[in-house]
Amino acid sequence: MSAPSNAVLAARSLTLGYGADPVVHEVDLEIDPGEFTVIVGPNGCGKSTLLKALGRVNRPMSGQVLLHGRDMRTRRTKAVARELALLPQSPVVPEGVTVRSLVERGRFAHHTLLRQWSPEDERAIAEALELTATADLAEVPLASLSGGQRQRAWVAMVLAQDTGVLLLDEPTTYLDIAHQYDLLQLFARLHRRGRTVVAVLHDLAQAARFATRLVMMDGGRVVADGTPHEVVTSDLVREVFGLACDVVPDPRTGTPLVIPHEEPVAG
Amino acid sequence: MSHQTTFASRAQQAPPAPEPEYGPPPGVLVLRLGRALALPVRRRSLIVWLLIAAAVLMASAATLTVGNLGISIAQLPSVLSGGGEATDRFVLSRLRGPRLLVGAGVGAALGIAGALFQAVTRNPLGSPDVIGLGAGAGAGAAVAALLVPGTVPVPVGALLGAGLAIGLVALSTGTGLRHPGRLIVAGIGVAAMAQAFTHFVVAVIARDEATSLATYLNGSLTARDWEHAGIIWGALLLSLPVLLYLAGPVRLGEMGDEISQTLGVPAKATRTVAILMSVLLSAAAVSVAGPISFVALTAPQIARRMAGAGGPSLVLSAAVGALLVVCADLVVQQVPLGEGLPVGIVTMALGGLYLGHLLIREWRKGTL
Repeated sequence: MSAPSNAVLAARSLTLGYGADPVVHEVDLEIDPGEFTVIVGPNGCGKSTLLKALGRVNRPMSGQVLLHGRDMRTRRTKAVARELALLPQSPVVPEGVTVRSLVERGRFAHHTLLRQWSPEDERAIAEALELTATADLAEVPLASLSGGQRQRAWVAMVLAQDTGVLLLDEPTTYLDIAHQYDLLQLFARLHRRGRTVVAVLHDLAQAARFATRLVMMDGGRVVADGTPHEVVTSDLVREVFGLACDVVPDPRTGTPLVIPHEEPVAG
Repeated sequence: MSHQTTFASRAQQAPPAPEPEYGPPPGVLVLRLGRALALPVRRRSLIVWLLIAAAVLMASAATLTVGNLGISIAQLPSVLSGGGEATDRFVLSRLRGPRLLVGAGVGAALGIAGALFQAVTRNPLGSPDVIGLGAGAGAGAAVAALLVPGTVPVPVGALLGAGLAIGLVALSTGTGLRHPGRLIVAGIGVAAMAQAFTHFVVAVIARDEATSLATYLNGSLTARDWEHAGIIWGALLLSLPVLLYLAGPVRLGEMGDEISQTLGVPAKATRTVAILMSVLLSAAAVSVAGPISFVALTAPQIARRMAGAGGPSLVLSAAVGALLVVCADLVVQQVPLGEGLPVGIVTMALGGLYLGHLLIREWRKGTL
C-alpha cells in the first residue's frame, strides 16, 4: 500500500475500459482538497473515462478509487453521493421536468425513506438556483430552455447536492464562448468557496486560465501533471496533440496560450 | 474611539446573522409526523389523486347499484354495514362486491406495473402489455390450470410465465432491457409466441373447457370471488413497502444510469427490483382476471399528464388503473351491447387506439 495522504480522491493503478481493451492504463492520481484540477488531452485519450471512474460511475477493470482514503466500491451509492457529485456529458432531459424539480433531484442523497424534505433542502436549492442565476427560470420546463440556460440548470442540480467534490465532464461543450466563460467563472467561484473541482475540458487556453493544476493525458496514461505553466509547453502540445505551436502568455492573465503554426507537423 | 472598539468587538462576538427560515415552495405541502416523517406532496398531485379516488368511489357505487339486481342507493349504506335485505346482501357479497374489489385491485396493480416498467425502460411503449409480460402470464396460467392441473397453483403458474417471458425478451434483444426499440420488437415476438402457445393449450388439450377459458384469456371479471380479491389485494399490500422505497429511485432512474448513480441511486439494483415488482404485480393481476390489456400501458401515461410534474407517479397510476378497470367493467355489465363481454375487450378497444397514437408519436420523435 502507498503511504496515507490527505487526498480527497485518489486513483490507485487504475485500469479502465470496456471489454478486453483498456482505455486507461494503471493511472495513479491524487486530488488534494481545494484544487481546481483540469484534465486535458486529445480525443479518445481516456480523460472522460477516468473522470467517470473517479465519480464511481465506471467500474474499474483493476485498481481502485479512494474517496477520503476509503475504497469507493465498498461504500453505498447514496453515501458517496453526499460527498461527491458528477455532471456527465449531455444527460437525458426528463419529459416535462421544470428547472426547480430538476434541482430538487440533487437532494436525493440527503433524504431517507420517511424524511424527504427539510429546510436544509430548501436552503441548498435556493442557493444553487441563485449561484447559477436560474432562480427566475425555476418554473420553466427544462426542454424549453436554451443550451446555456439548460446547462446552468444541470449545474444547479449538482450544486444542490452540496458535496465537497465536484466532477464536471466537458461542461462547456455546445455553448457559445460567452456562456462558456460564464460557467467557468462560476466553477472558479465555487472553487474559491472551498470546493474541490475536477473538470475535463477541451480548450487548453480555458484550462490553463482557470485550473490550479493541469493533468494531461495521452493514450490512456497521464503524461504531464503540474501547474498550467509546467504542462502547457510547445513541446508537450506538439508531442501529445501533434500540433506545432508557440506558447505565449495570455496578455490579460499571463497564463499560457497556444498559438498554432500555419502548417501541421509533417508525419 | 472607545465607542468604535466596543462596537467592533460586539460585532465579532455577535452570532452570525440568522438564516432566513426556509419553508416548502409554493404549491407543495409537507406531510409531517413529529421529526420522523416529512414527505413533500405537490398540491396538484394531491387534488388530482382525490378527484380520481372520488371517481373510483362513484364508479364503485354505480357498479353496486345500477341495473337488474342493483342495490338501491337508499339501501346501500345499510347493506354495506351488514344489514339490508337478503337479496341485496347476496348481490354485494357474492355477485358484485368481489368482482368490484378484484377489478379495482387488478387495475391498481396493472397501473403500478406499467409505471415501473415504463420508467425503467424510459419509454411509454416499454410496458408489460407490449413486451409480452401479460401474454406470458396468461400462458403460464393456462398451463397451470389446464395442462398440469393441480401441480402448481394458477397464480404461481402466471408468475412463472411472466418471468419466463421477460427472460426471453431480455435474452433475445442481446442488450438486456436497455434499448426500448429492441425491447418492443422482441416483446411483440414473445407475446405472439405466448399467445400461440396458450391457444394451443386451450384448443388441443382442454377442448371442453375452452369456452370458459377463452373468456378468461381476454381478461374477465365474471364470477370472481373473495379468494381472487385476497390474491390481488394481498399482492398489493405485500409490495407496498418495496414500492415506497422504489418511488424516488425510479423517478431519478429516468434520467439515465450515470446521472441517477451520481445522485445516489444504485441504478442496476433499482432496475432489477422494479422489474421484479412489475412481474409480480402483472402476474397477480393476470392470475385473478386474465390478461386485461392496455391498462398497464395507458394508466401511467394518463396519470403523468394529469400530475403535470414530469416523472412517473406510482400512487396516481394505481388510482387511474383502478378507475379504468372499474369503469370498463361497469360498461361490460350494464351497456346492452357489451353485456357478457370480457372486460379485457373494452380495455383492448380503448387501449388499441391509444397504442396507435403512441406509436405514431414515438416514431415521429425518432425514439423507435
